[in-house]
Formats: sequence, structure tokens, C-alpha cells
Amino acid sequence: MTTGSIASAPTALATDMTPLDGADPQEWYFSRGYTDGLPVVPPTPEKVDAMVAALGGDPDLLEARVPPRWGNLTRRVLAVNAVMAGCLPIYAPVLRAAMRAMCEPHFNLNAIQATTHVIAPLAIVNGPVRNEIDMNAGHGAFGPGNRANATIGRAIRLILLNVGGALPGVLDKSTQGTPAKYSYCVAENEEDSPWAPYHVEKGYRPQDSTVFVIGAESNHNINSPLPNDPEGILDDVISSMTTVVHNNARASGHCTVALSPEHAQTIAKHGWTRHDVRSYLQMYATNKFGKIVHNFKYGKAYNRHLPKHYRRDLDSDIPIVPSPDNIHLFVIGGTAGRFSSFIPGWGHYNSPVLRAIDGTAPDGGPVCIDGTCYL
Amino acid sequence: MTFASPLYGYDPRGVVVAEARAIAPRAADLRGLRLAVLDNAKMKAGKLLAYTTEILDGEFKFASINHYVKRGFSYTADPDMIRDIAAANDVVITAIGD
Repeated sequence: MTTGSIASAPTALATDMTPLDGADPQEWYFSRGYTDGLPVVPPTPEKVDAMVAALGGDPDLLEARVPPRWGNLTRRVLAVNAVMAGCLPIYAPVLRAAMRAMCEPHFNLNAIQATTHVIAPLAIVNGPVRNEIDMNAGHGAFGPGNRANATIGRAIRLILLNVGGALPGVLDKSTQGTPAKYSYCVAENEEDSPWAPYHVEKGYRPQDSTVFVIGAESNHNINSPLPNDPEGILDDVISSMTTVVHNNARASGHCTVALSPEHAQTIAKHGWTRHDVRSYLQMYATNKFGKIVHNFKYGKAYNRHLPKHYRRDLDSDIPIVPSPDNIHLFVIGGTAGRFSSFIPGWGHYNSPVLRAIDGTAPDGGPVCIDGTCYL
Repeated sequence: MTFASPLYGYDPRGVVVAEARAIAPRAADLRGLRLAVLDNAKMKAGKLLAYTTEILDGEFKFASINHYVKRGFSYTADPDMIRDIAAANDVVITAIGD
């Protein structure tokens, strides 16, 4: 295979192309601030064309506008970033679906990109496409080593940086940032789950493929080796959920729980359904209002970010999220190990989006009431 | 199999299509104007704005002071609220109090 040969040179140079004139491609991209700090795969006309073709052709078609810079994400721009991230063309529809989902207004990507918080968009893939592109939903799914997980997540970040302009310290004002801002894309382990997949719970068919996106912190570990019943395992999940210093505790909203297959299977053996799990967590994952406001040590506080109908007495029980539907439950990870994850969201400022990957199912739009959206 | 260096660099940023708009004319004198106070709902924005408003009103004697609160600091401003502020006020102050 030869890349960038003279024979493949375009007859008229596109406006987004610059002759390298012998310059080191890596240094060229680094010097212009077009990378995430890691080397990129230098795009070539062949690679970009193949990626555009995987999106259906028509390179100038506008897929989305990405805030806060509001750059136009055309298919060509999407393709260039996907190539730079190391994506194969067969990943392109998943990447596009994720970007479209994040650019839905109620996802509030504009603020996610700019906030001082550590939030990053998390993408979780369901359905047959997971296996078609060889995603990792098993051991180390949130970690390195799988090309599809890593490069789809990385392409999302490159688009957020390059098209969305979320450069750290410039438009991305995150105080500390997070490793999740390099790449944050996984798949559900449907094969080792005792329950129907997440997207089926939300009304899709098992043969449909979807991507779920949510503003998320990095996953918080839940080490729960001893319990052999649902309550014991879920009480350990609740232990992780009920710190007062993540945004769900202070500002409600949506969150994600990723149970390991072992934990999920133990819970399911007792006849518990997904709904039972989400309901138990929502009912018992609470903090006293006094704990949230430091028992008024620093002055009387109302907390304007929790729902108005919550009582604000010091001994009032404040739920981490307002409804079982605000807990997005997945089974992720390898078949050995009783380690699960709680993944805090960003409070009520972000509504997650579930979107079908092209051609597999009609889009299921959210139900939005008074600015709050439910899947 | 050989791997030649790419001949071209690609700009991955996409174009920005935006309409240029002039900023509103600045008020030459604050005395007697209608003041909007926009609280962005940050933790201490209300306290900061209340203190600031008190100082400014003492100096400029506003004709009216109207208070507005965003739904949340991380939401885009509600277009209806922006219209209300523009219709009922001459100047607006806002602040972040974290």
C-alpha cells in the first residue's frame, strides 16, 4: 500500500489541504494544534475518500455544528478527524451517530465543552454493530487495547477539539480535566448480561444498533466481592453514589451504572429485573440535605440546582437522581471479577441521548417536559 | 510494500459560518436608567450582584431595577428572557459568583 503517491494527488487542491513540501506530517499537525497531544494518522486523499464513502458520499453534507466554536461538521471534516484518530471506515456510522446525538440541543454540548467541571461525553454502543466492528465490551472495556473503542472515542475528542474548539484553557475551562477526555467509548456486554440490552429496555429491537451518549465523569470503581444477594451488591453501589461531591448529589440529573457480569448475574439469580435494580438504587441512594450544605457551617444555603419540590430541612433525604429512569444501567466488563462502576453525570444540565445508528432503526426522540428530557 | 509520506496536510477544523453583529451602543451616563440584574444561578452570584447593585444604585439612582435569574448557569440563555430584558431595561449587569 502506498499513501499519498503522486498518482493519487488531486487535480485541484481542496481548500482544507496544504502541501506539506517535505515537512514531517506529525510535526505539521502538532504545530497547528490539530491533535489531542498524541501523534495522529496523517490523512491522505485515499483514506479520507474511503471514510466519506462509508458515510454515504456527499462530502459537503452538513452532519452537525459543534459548539462552542460552532464549526461545521461536514462528512469530509468528520472523515478527516476519523482518519487522524485511526478509525477504520466501518466505524464511521457509529462515530456519526454519536456526534449527531451529542449535538442535539438538550445534550447541552456547548456547556459540557466549556465547563470548569471534569465532564466528558461517554458513548456506549449496543446491538450487532458492536461485534461487526469488533468492539470490546469485556475485560478492560473502558481501558486501552481495542481499536474500535479507542479510535471512535478518540475521533469524538478530536472533533470536539478541532471542530468544537474545546482547547484546554481556551474554550475548555475544565479546572483539572480527565483522562476520559482522550477517549471514552465502550459497548455493553450483551452476551454475558442476564437481562435484555439497554437499548431493548428503551424500546429498540435486539437487532437494532444504537449509541447512547451522556455527560459523564470517569468511572468510579465499586469493589464488592462479598455480597451474594441483590441488596448487598446494590448497597455497595449506593455507597459509591452517595458521596456529596459529584454533580448528581448537588444538582440531580442523570447518571450511569455499569454492573460487571458477575454482579449482574448474582442479582438476576434472585429474580431482579433491570427495573428492580434501578428502582432500588433510586430509592435508597440518598443524602441528608444537611450533608450537601455542610449543615450550614458556611451560612444558610438553599441549593438552587436540586428540584424545587425537594424539602430542604437538614434531615431531608435528597435522592441522587429524581427517578429510576435517570439511572442508565448497563452490563459492562469481563466475566471474572466483582467490580462494577458508578459513573456520575453532570447534574440536570445534561440530558442523555439514545440514537439509532444509521439504517438500523428509526430514531427514538426524547420526551421533553419543561426543559427536562427523558429517553 | 512501501509507505510514502503524505503530500498534504488537512485542516480538520471545519468552517464557521457566523453572522457578524455589532454590539449594542454603550450607555454614556448610567444615571436614571432602567437596570436589569441577571443572576446566572451560580452559588454566590446573587450575593455578589446584590452587593454590586446596592453600590451602583447609590451612585446612579436607577429609575428601576429588575431582577432575572437563569434556569441554571450552564444553560444557554432563554431567548424569551433576553427579549424581556431588552424590552424593559436600558442596561444590564451580570456576574459569576462561584
